[in-house]
Amino acid sequence: MLESRGVPCAAIGAVRVQMEKTRPPRGLFVPFELGRPLGEPEDAAFQSRVLLQALKLLERTDGPVILEDFPDDPPGWRDAPGWLPPPLPSVAAPSDAAAWRVGFAAELSALRPAWERARARFGGSTVGLSGVVPDDWPALAAAFVGGATPRVAGHPTAALALRFLCDDIKAFYGEAGQADGPAPASRQVNGWFWRGTLAGQLLIALRAVAMASENNALKTVGGRFFVPVPWLPR
Amino acid sequence: MARLEDIPQPTRDAVANLACPSFDTHPFVAGPPLAERRVAIVTSAALIRRGDPPFAFGSGEARFIPAATPAGEQLISHVSINFDRSGFQRDRNVVFPLDRLRDLAAEGAIGGVADTHYTVMGSTDPAAMGDAAAQIAGQLQQERIDAVLLTPV
Repeated sequence: MLESRGVPCAAIGAVRVQMEKTRPPRGLFVPFELGRPLGEPEDAAFQSRVLLQALKLLERTDGPVILEDFPDDPPGWRDAPGWLPPPLPSVAAPSDAAAWRVGFAAELSALRPAWERARARFGGSTVGLSGVVPDDWPALAAAFVGGATPRVAGHPTAALALRFLCDDIKAFYGEAGQADGPAPASRQVNGWFWRGTLAGQLLIALRAVAMASENNALKTVGGRFFVPVPWLPR
Repeated sequence: MARLEDIPQPTRDAVANLACPSFDTHPFVAGPPLAERRVAIVTSAALIRRGDPPFAFGSGEARFIPAATPAGEQLISHVSINFDRSGFQRDRNVVFPLDRLRDLAAEGAIGGVADTHYTVMGSTDPAAMGDAAAQIAGQLQQERIDAVLLTPV
């Protein structure tokens, strides 16, 4: 769409079959995880190799459709054996909204130092889509667990507010889980979050509440955007 | 790693069978050597600056990202939950490689880095992005940009 307006483009893509279908003028297929088009965080040399191979396609003259393959897997996709998630308090499975609030607050409080270290280590945080500060998450999440649909400033519906709250919770834990030690593979972070934390169980509980709701927006958003299918309870 | 067989179901089938647009023409614009080109990034990650409203589901809008935007203020508001965000949490360059472009410019491998970059919601049907593409192209031409890097998530 930009090339037809006179601007030369080079596209990176992680799904080769889609590149074969869309046939961009210059495409570089990269065998990387979805969400990491440059391959490897904190590896400037690897990222530069990917970037330069993509940009060099701009000098080719054998178009109008060029599709190249990047040859290497990113070095960090294997599990990091030395990685350990931050310790968490032992919390009994909550049986009602009040217990979810207390248990989630305790877990968040325990993780707060790790999250602060992650913010310093990585130069910021990706938490912020909901516009709600972490101290207020337990009460808000518990309200939804209890069947309420509270409105949140800045969001047109309660459903969207909850969706972005879930995104923020995942970001907080993702960052806290990577605060120390070697970089874990994403599946290590995900396995810890969805199987090892109360917050992961909270999002699964929120999904169940949303899908049972008579609020159609909440039902739709909860079913699609809270819990990735591979991490749904078996 | 992200070869199709490595993507968990049902995302694997969804991406394999995704309806993709086809185009009647295949424009191919030539340009000067890479060392003379100024490069802009267009990412479909639906990036926002902290405090800005997230992209809406199905939004066909484009947003401009000034190159001076602090990396620590950037958030992904893409609707999908089926791609990794832990890499972006560690290093924004894994999606939005602005520092790497600056490295290449400093080395002389590219001519320069654009003052403005761009982001859209990658899950939106491209047919709804005609106005966005025109806006982006207009700004690119105004800044005399002659190379665009497209990065998905």
